[in-house]
Amino acid sequence: MSETPHGALERLAEHGRRGFPHLLAARRRTETDLADVQRRLGGIPLDDGASVVLMGSWGRRERTSGSDDDFLVLVEGEERDARPRVDDLDRVLGHGTAKPGTRGTFGAQVFVGPLVRHIGLDDDSNRNLTRRMLLVLESLPVVGTEAYRDAFTRVIDGYVTGHAKDFRPPRFLLNDLIRYWRTICVDFAGKAREEERKWGLRNAKLRLNRKLLFAGGLVPVLLCHEHRADHQRSFLVDQLQAPPTDRLAHAFLRFDAADPGVRALGAYDRWIGMLDDPDRRAHLTGLTRRDAADDPAFRDVRRVAKEFEQGLLALLFETRLGPLVREFGVF
Amino acid sequence: MVSSPIAEARSVAAHHPLGTSTGHLTELRGQWDMLVMRARDVSTMAVELAALAEPEFLSLCDWLADSGRELPFRFLSVHAPTKQRSLPEPELVARLLALPSTVDAIVVHPDVIDVPERYAPLGATVVLENMDTRKDDGRTAAELAPYFAALPDAGFCLDVPHAHSIDPTLEEAHAMLDAFGERLRHLHVSSLDADSHHVTLRPEDEAAFAPILGRCLDVPWILEAPLPTR
Repeated sequence: MSETPHGALERLAEHGRRGFPHLLAARRRTETDLADVQRRLGGIPLDDGASVVLMGSWGRRERTSGSDDDFLVLVEGEERDARPRVDDLDRVLGHGTAKPGTRGTFGAQVFVGPLVRHIGLDDDSNRNLTRRMLLVLESLPVVGTEAYRDAFTRVIDGYVTGHAKDFRPPRFLLNDLIRYWRTICVDFAGKAREEERKWGLRNAKLRLNRKLLFAGGLVPVLLCHEHRADHQRSFLVDQLQAPPTDRLAHAFLRFDAADPGVRALGAYDRWIGMLDDPDRRAHLTGLTRRDAADDPAFRDVRRVAKEFEQGLLALLFETRLGPLVREFGVF
Repeated sequence: MVSSPIAEARSVAAHHPLGTSTGHLTELRGQWDMLVMRARDVSTMAVELAALAEPEFLSLCDWLADSGRELPFRFLSVHAPTKQRSLPEPELVARLLALPSTVDAIVVHPDVIDVPERYAPLGATVVLENMDTRKDDGRTAAELAPYFAALPDAGFCLDVPHAHSIDPTLEEAHAMLDAFGERLRHLHVSSLDADSHHVTLRPEDEAAFAPILGRCLDVPWILEAPLPTR
């Protein structure tokens, strides 16, 4: 079977009857919207080594009607005056309801030097970690594609060069990936203590979108064990440029677990359908932890999340990936 | 479809998530506290609280109303009554709807359904199980299809020995997975005796079931008889 994960979701869909209509519609929406944003940003001033990069649902190629614009202006090297400025993008990205999150992680200029240099220790802030991992796991360039590819490769290099060993998963990247996933989980609880608002939607995204993000990164990192150290960079670049749903679909197919794969990504597909329903999304957004326990809509979320997780666990523990997870995933 | 060689080589006892049905703990019938304790000894990952007779079901409803939230199981299935039925079907469905939200699945036998559409309010919680040779309906993909057509959100519980009793080659089991695999929620696993009663899984059946089990790595497997001691 094909070594590359690109297009694997469609191939997995052929093993079921329902297919993944919501996911594939969200991909089409992402492509259409991306072309529109690229057209509108065509004339912006762009320094050499600068790119505009989309993350979140854009990067996962799963835009729905309520998606926002998590974007960064990514610039090579160290902090300086660079173009485009965030203001240059105002009319196209992040306005109105598409405004990126309120914590300042997105909608900013980010310089690749510190992003790569500060991996771990005090200078690797939560924000730095988040930006770096999302660049690796779910990013999509709008303009400055070449600069984006260079930055993406530099970040991978930061984890692999001088660290990777032949036929072993790169531990540095693996540990940072696991740290990031656990950080997301801990931060969810922290946010929930700060404010009850949005608990329902945040919890649902933790159970589904964030888990997809983590598992979709974990699988290619583990699969590096099949490669010599000098091939791991190109392997990871190819794998991680595919949407995470393709990476997971590819793994389900490759490890003879098409049935669980169809169920897992079928459950995720139903979740994308829920997210694309404005009323249901608004309902989940307004749901507090206390109300969620007996809420029928949240019960549906719990069910699809459980089915999704069960599929991922089967992939990670009941296939030939199992020994790798055991050997490298805990200690 | 090809199943995983690793999974096929593993024993049923090693599956995750694995749990038991309380249906085979006949000496404790109706004593839900005790049944749950015994089920917990098998696994806290999954359980099926079997209330096959209606009086049992009514006692389970009362018991769950008090203690449902405190159960330790990650996957909680309730088997709806199939025997000693006296409640009108709309009232039975109302009782099923009133079960705690912690119940993940409600298993219903198609052959005791009068009007499938009445179960629609249960949404994805209702799960249809395939029947064995003793029944006249719900045994094959073709016989199950009208029920799933009437209940588009319903899940599927594959009872592996039931399917084996219908077709020892297990081609029908594969056909049911091909048709309804996307709805699969959990499995029933055991062997059957000559009277089609669930008994401890025999090694030859475990080996025969392996290709089917290999397609169902992700869902809970519910034991309908104790595992063999080896």
